[in-house]
Amino acid sequence: MLGAVPYAARSDWTLGAEASLRHDSNVGNSAAPSDVVGDSTLGAKLSMSNLFPLGEDYSLTVGGDLRGELFRTLTGLNNASVEGVLSLKRKWGYGAFAPWARLGLTVGRSSYDASYRNAWDYRVSAATGWRVDERLNIWAEYAFDRLAAATQEQEVPSLSGDAFSQTSHNIQLNAEYALSERSFVNLGLSGRHGDVVSTTQGDSQIIAAARALAEDPAFGPESYAYRIGGTSFGFRAGIHFSPTPHCLLGVGFERLITHADGGTDYNKSIPEITWDYRF
Amino acid sequence: MNKPLAASVLWLLAAVPGHAAELIVQVKDHGKPVSDAVVLAMPTDAKNLLRSKLPADAVDQVDKQFVPYVKPVYVGSRVRFPNSDNIRHQVYSFSSAKKFELPLYAGATAAPVVFDKPGVVVLGCNIHDWMIGYIYVADTPFFAKTEGAGTVTLSDLPPGEYTVRVWHPSMAEHAEESTARRLTLSADAPATLEWALSLKPIFRVPRVSTSGASVY
Repeated sequence: MLGAVPYAARSDWTLGAEASLRHDSNVGNSAAPSDVVGDSTLGAKLSMSNLFPLGEDYSLTVGGDLRGELFRTLTGLNNASVEGVLSLKRKWGYGAFAPWARLGLTVGRSSYDASYRNAWDYRVSAATGWRVDERLNIWAEYAFDRLAAATQEQEVPSLSGDAFSQTSHNIQLNAEYALSERSFVNLGLSGRHGDVVSTTQGDSQIIAAARALAEDPAFGPESYAYRIGGTSFGFRAGIHFSPTPHCLLGVGFERLITHADGGTDYNKSIPEITWDYRF
Repeated sequence: MNKPLAASVLWLLAAVPGHAAELIVQVKDHGKPVSDAVVLAMPTDAKNLLRSKLPADAVDQVDKQFVPYVKPVYVGSRVRFPNSDNIRHQVYSFSSAKKFELPLYAGATAAPVVFDKPGVVVLGCNIHDWMIGYIYVADTPFFAKTEGAGTVTLSDLPPGEYTVRVWHPSMAEHAEESTARRLTLSADAPATLEWALSLKPIFRVPRVSTSGASVY
């Protein structure tokens, strides 16, 4: 693939690969204990990007990802996606310790085994960060995310079948702290406000609060997905080790708590093992 | 015979086997051998600083790292920065001993940089934040760098009195002065010195981070 691009562009391509094994304790974002389904996933991602310096302070990066995710039980959620990324970065100074800010635009397309979940993903983000010293690195990001899926057959009069499209505002605060030359811990806080999709058995409260409703057979023959408004708060922690300069192994844990309309409050825990490689 | 000529003759005599002194140095940190430590021998007699020609030096960029990690050079040296990677690098330094910037380049196109002031020059790449390297600009022509075993031999030294000191990237700032030792070298037998340093842990910017900034 690299051989097919012109020399001037080929010279600065950066490649990356990632793999993960994670367990989501509540894949369907369900509130009722009887509806909660946990599952494990195996994920993989290939990334490539090219950086174009624009003067002394700015750089433009053009990149793309290929992702795949396999579910152990809920195989209808197996998916592959492709996305393109364009970002403009400014650094105030040279080197690792210069503060930076970045604007990003991502457009992606996801394809699921349960094809009714296929969607376009549009994401606009703004991030800023600063490596305080050799040990401490901090950054924050805001993102507006729009997931556009096909509208499904209407199940209830006056309630849309567009249950899998979502709009959300997302914010993250992150820190990495080096424990040694080869290891660091990371801590993160996140907030998300917007649409959530909860696959659960219907009750009067969630139906009254739902913005859309559709069948969701990936979770079983009588499962329905409700799009409702909600606010999520998350905490994430992990420890990472670099066996080689190119490679990063990590163990992490994320806890998410969501307060959604209609009293549909749910939570989930996501432990994971990750492997990153940068060529 | 005028003085410069006399010094040159002395230098030539010292370079002949049998007329030169040798210093063998071992550097350790809590008992473990230390590599990349720069050992410098400053002659008390300034005329021994004469040297006919400065060697060409280079710091390469291989696999998005500076190679070597530590490069000692004599003051006034011209150092080239070839780029052996198939991506471009933008080499810079903010160090008081030498401030410079080589705009984004590939291959061996960058002009050499003259290091005309003694001191430590920290190298970076503005594109790849984890790249860091050191050029130690020595105020004496008699220096060398320890390898994996923590040892180094300084050969062909004019016999005489010297102040010998050690520098390493993990030493605390200004700690180099406290390593200074005086000794007299003769052509009769090699001298040996050993340093037991207390180095700071190294925390280098990781190449792979959870921020995603490594790729985008």
